[in-house]
Amino acid sequence: MLDLETYSLPNGLRVVLNEDHSAPLVAINLWYHVGSKNERRGRTGFAHLFEHMLFSGSQHVGNNEHFRYVQSVGGVLNGTTFFDRTNYFETLPSQYLALGLWLESDRMGFFLPALTQEKLDIQREVVKEERRQRYDNVPYGTAFERLLHLAYDPEYPYHWPTIGSMEDLSAASLDDIRNFFSTWYRPDNAVLTLVGDFVPSEARNLIARYFGDIAPGKSFPPFDRIRKEIRSERREIHASRVPLPRIYRLYHLPRMGDRDWVASDLLSTVLTSDKASRLERALVYEKKIATDVAAYVLPTEATGMMLVQATANADVPTAEIERSIDEEIERIVVGGITEDELIRAKNRAEVDHAHQIENYDTRADLIGMFTTFFEDPDLITTWLDPYRATTTADVAGVARRYLVPENRVTSIFTPEAA
Amino acid sequence: MSDDFRASAPPAGKPRPYHFPAVTREKLDNGLQLLVAENHSAPLVAARALICSGADRDSADLAGLASMTTELLDEGAGSRDAIRLAEDLGLLGASLATGTDWDASYISIDVLSRNFALSMDIFADIARRPMLPEAALERVRKERLMELLQQREEPSAIAGKRFSNLLYGRGTYGNSVTGTNESVSRLRIDDVRRFYAENFLPNNTAIVIAGDIDTRNAVAALRKLFGDWKPGPPPRRPLISPAAIEKSRIYLVDRPNAVQSEIRVGHVGVARSTEDYFPLTVTNALLGGVFNSRINLNLREKHGYTYGARSAFAFRRQAGPFVVSAPVRNEVTLESVSEVLAELRRIRTGDIEERELEDTKNYLAGVFPATVQSSSDIAGRLLDMELYGLPHDYFDHYRENIAGVTAADVARVANKYIDPERAIIVIVGNASQIREPLGTLGYPIHDLDVDGNLLTVA
Repeated sequence: MLDLETYSLPNGLRVVLNEDHSAPLVAINLWYHVGSKNERRGRTGFAHLFEHMLFSGSQHVGNNEHFRYVQSVGGVLNGTTFFDRTNYFETLPSQYLALGLWLESDRMGFFLPALTQEKLDIQREVVKEERRQRYDNVPYGTAFERLLHLAYDPEYPYHWPTIGSMEDLSAASLDDIRNFFSTWYRPDNAVLTLVGDFVPSEARNLIARYFGDIAPGKSFPPFDRIRKEIRSERREIHASRVPLPRIYRLYHLPRMGDRDWVASDLLSTVLTSDKASRLERALVYEKKIATDVAAYVLPTEATGMMLVQATANADVPTAEIERSIDEEIERIVVGGITEDELIRAKNRAEVDHAHQIENYDTRADLIGMFTTFFEDPDLITTWLDPYRATTTADVAGVARRYLVPENRVTSIFTPEAA
Repeated sequence: MSDDFRASAPPAGKPRPYHFPAVTREKLDNGLQLLVAENHSAPLVAARALICSGADRDSADLAGLASMTTELLDEGAGSRDAIRLAEDLGLLGASLATGTDWDASYISIDVLSRNFALSMDIFADIARRPMLPEAALERVRKERLMELLQQREEPSAIAGKRFSNLLYGRGTYGNSVTGTNESVSRLRIDDVRRFYAENFLPNNTAIVIAGDIDTRNAVAALRKLFGDWKPGPPPRRPLISPAAIEKSRIYLVDRPNAVQSEIRVGHVGVARSTEDYFPLTVTNALLGGVFNSRINLNLREKHGYTYGARSAFAFRRQAGPFVVSAPVRNEVTLESVSEVLAELRRIRTGDIEERELEDTKNYLAGVFPATVQSSSDIAGRLLDMELYGLPHDYFDHYRENIAGVTAADVARVANKYIDPERAIIVIVGNASQIREPLGTLGYPIHDLDVDGNLLTVA
């Protein structure tokens, strides 16, 4: 049972404190409730580009100085962007708590005065290189992007990946950056989590000092898009420079945290996790038709998804892989799963969760997520309860209701003709 | 409220001491080294077996043998076949991994502490009684061949393999850990069983346990599980035989559709046992080892050429490579290589600012506690201590050893261990776009295919 103190500043900044003196460190973590979901067509990749910009200095912190301040005292730091949120975090020796709060508050409250066209131009190039490195210059790199294009209609913002398109990155202007910042980077759209070696009364005073005078947002554009149901499977075959065919599928699920999402998370472990899991055993171990197979759910807020992918062994038709995947799913729908399979999946969830709580930085990040998505930091303690309550029938039930052709999209990567 | 408190960084509070967990060491009569460290911050235990033989033992003809052997360890052990092994580990909340790198092989189990004792029975079976079944070899071989096939299209894998091979030839460190199409195809189950028998010996192994355990119980359990393991003749490490590089040269691997060039610049570095380890660690961090280092700030933050550029000394039992790596867009390939070479030349001149040196040392000295939060992290540090023969008080003196490095030390070791005029430059990229600009560097350009064969290009 973790001891949390939760409160809000008058400007709306939500704060969660988790005091823990086992190591002389403090993890500072900020979740801003904005991600690529809040972008629009023609301006994709923006939330992520913006994350890069927030490391390029603010009114009292010079260009590249943010990294220097943290690293030169032995701290580690980063930021990440996804569909629904952007997080910024540093883990510092605990005597530098004030430094971390000063840095985070300066870029929350005083970012715009330091913004320049030159900084934007550099980071735009860096992000384009990131896209080339991760998407465009590697085999299968665009698979997730292609799946999203198939799975969501163009007006639904999960239609595009967080990295965005080259064209849109080129079009981003300083005004876009200013508007984005002014709209979303407000204290009442953020959660500040501290985990580690601090005195709570001192932490509260420092937080009030550094964040208290930052003005709240006026209003936040509500997210009210509805995903359009697909009534039959959407499929594509994509020939590109890949050595082996690989099948990618996306199954629609309810949003993260929903009971069916939890059961689906356990189902994904039953499907792939080790040699005894259903798909690995059937496709890789016994039939030897695939070299690897993986199924997992993503932590998404607006709507859920399970991804399934499998690489065909040489000379195995992809149809055979698909048929085997469908047969294994059907076996679960018809025959259910065993108690032992469920116990193993629950154990894995428990171990994964324990590993995330073990480190201050990942613990702070989980608390930030629970507070941002569910307004409930105590989920850090109770998150596994619905997992424990899930039955074998629940798992078979989500297989029956969600892992069906009319609820999925499929993208098949095949080697292009030489 | 006054804004003055925002004008500059707030001062630090009082530092709190950090202590690496106490380590209990015991050597069994059969030569097995035990290391146990308690850490009760989570209900988890990290158990590791370190077998001090890695891909460095592989002959060129049988490259990949060590890693194929470790991959087969979980294909059945003791009385359990592969499926039963996975099921029983899953019921204990234990995850198993096995692997090989250059100097060692590993068996890792991470488990809920309430099931630690039961999981250790399986751990001992995997280390001591693997079945190494022939049928599994055929399946795993096929998977490995497919993996090698995939790597032929991955620019960073191509660059890494070509670079190692050019530095070390067909000898130790020169082949890929995962082997080649030919060598993996050649492996027989007898090779695997021989490798296992010659290297998986208690006198070539250390067991590390870190986490939510009672030291005395853990040591007693390990004694019982491993005490009667029979030792054997200690295996010998083959020596590396790198070729001298007289003058820097470029090797180009063409990927006609590439939108980035994958760059490697470097040469043979130095072994982990070097007396210059601390000056070199500071030098590399300042040069390209961390985000705020010269090479990354130059290529990424000043020029926007790359998402990330870095340098590294691979400190191994024998001299591993020193390498600078960066993926950059085609149009700035020449500029990027030039900037990297310029940074390598500059670090040798002694042009080092007091502030960057202090920042780097403070980072290295201060970051240690943040990197050993989990039991798994702690176990990893103990494995390194054991593999590289570090003194038992190594972490107690780490900070002062870093703090003692001077600008003169940096210049000295940079001159001794970094030489841009005798470097191998590997570039995997779009030759039609980058060959001509690269020619202006004045270095000979050799064309290689993905497998490292020299090509004649008109």
